[in-house]
Amino acid sequence: MSAQGTLSAAAATALGAALLVGGLAGTTVYRYGAVKVYVEKKRPAGESVRLWVPGVLVPAAMTFVPDRHLEQIPPEARRFLPALRVASEELARCPDFRLLEVVSARERVSIAKRDGALVIDVDNNDETVHVSVPLRLLASLAEHLEEAATD
Amino acid sequence: MNRKRVISVLGVLALTFGFALTPPLAAQTPPQRWLHVTVDERGEDGETVRINLPLDVVEAILPTIYVDAVRGGKLKLSQLRVQQVDIRALLEAIRNAPDNEFVTVESARETVRVAKEGGYLLVNVDKRNDEGGLEEQVDIRIPFAVVDALLSAGEDELDLVAGVRALAAHGEGALVTVNEQDSRVRIWVDSRSTIE
Repeated sequence: MSAQGTLSAAAATALGAALLVGGLAGTTVYRYGAVKVYVEKKRPAGESVRLWVPGVLVPAAMTFVPDRHLEQIPPEARRFLPALRVASEELARCPDFRLLEVVSARERVSIAKRDGALVIDVDNNDETVHVSVPLRLLASLAEHLEEAATD
Repeated sequence: MNRKRVISVLGVLALTFGFALTPPLAAQTPPQRWLHVTVDERGEDGETVRINLPLDVVEAILPTIYVDAVRGGKLKLSQLRVQQVDIRALLEAIRNAPDNEFVTVESARETVRVAKEGGYLLVNVDKRNDEGGLEEQVDIRIPFAVVDALLSAGEDELDLVAGVRALAAHGEGALVTVNEQDSRVRIWVDSRSTIE
C-alpha cells in the first residue's frame, strides 16, 4: 500500500472513531436532555437567573457525592423515591400533556410533560419561573437515591 | 456482489424494523384513559384548577406508595380514621343488594341518598341553607365493576390498583360532581389528555 493510501486509511479510521465517539456522546446527551431553570424578576432592575445544565452531567456529578450525604435523605422524602422513579418512567412513555394548571387573578402555575421533560411554569406579579427536567434524568436520579438509601 | 449483499442486509433490516414498528392487529391496546379533575371557584380571587392524569400512570405508581393507610396499592381500612364504619362490609352489602334506593337520610338541611342503579353506586347529597335554598350538591357515580375490583383484595383492605384498572376498563363517564355556591368540582374519566 502506498504512503498516501496508508494516510487515507488512518484519516478514515480517525474520522470513524471521532464520529463514533461524537455519536455516542450525542446520544448520551440526547438521552438525558438538559435541565433548564429560568427565573426572571419582574420588578425594575430585578435579577434573573438562567441555568442550562446538560442532564448527562447530573448522574455523573452524583457519583462524586459521598454516600453518607445521600443516606441523610429524610425518611419522608425517601419513601416517595420509588413513586418518583416509576412516575418519571411512566410519564416518559405518555404523549405530551398538561398535568396541572392553576389559574388565579394573581398567578398561573402549570406542570406539563413536554418533549420528554417535566416542565414547570409559574407566572405571577413578581416573577416568571420556568423549570424543565428531563424525565429520564428524574428516573435515573430517583433510582440512584433509592439505591444509596438502601445500601 | 458486494452491492447485492448490502441491499440484502438493508432489506432484512427494513423488514425487521418494519415489523417492529407495525403493531399487530390482534395486539391493539384499548385507548388510554385519563382522569380529569376541575375546580372552578367563583369570585374575584377565584382559582381554576385543571388536573389530567393518565390512569395507567396512576396504576403504576400506586404499588410504590407506602404512606399512611395506602400500602403498596392497597388501602388498609383499619388504618383509616373512620373505623367506626366498616367500609368493606358496607360496600359488600350494597353490591349484593338489588337495584334500588336503599339509603335515604333526610334532615332539615341535608338529604343523603345512596342507591345502586344500572351497574353504578350512586351517592347524592343535597345541603340546604337556612332559607331552604340549595347550598351544596354532591353527585358521586362509581361503576360497580370498580367496587368489585376494590373488594377483590383481602380482608381489611381495598385494592386500589384493581380499582383504577377497572375504572380504565369501564370507559368514559362522570365520577364526582360537587356544586357549591362559590365553587364547582368535577372528576371524570375519558380518553382525551386535555380538558375541553
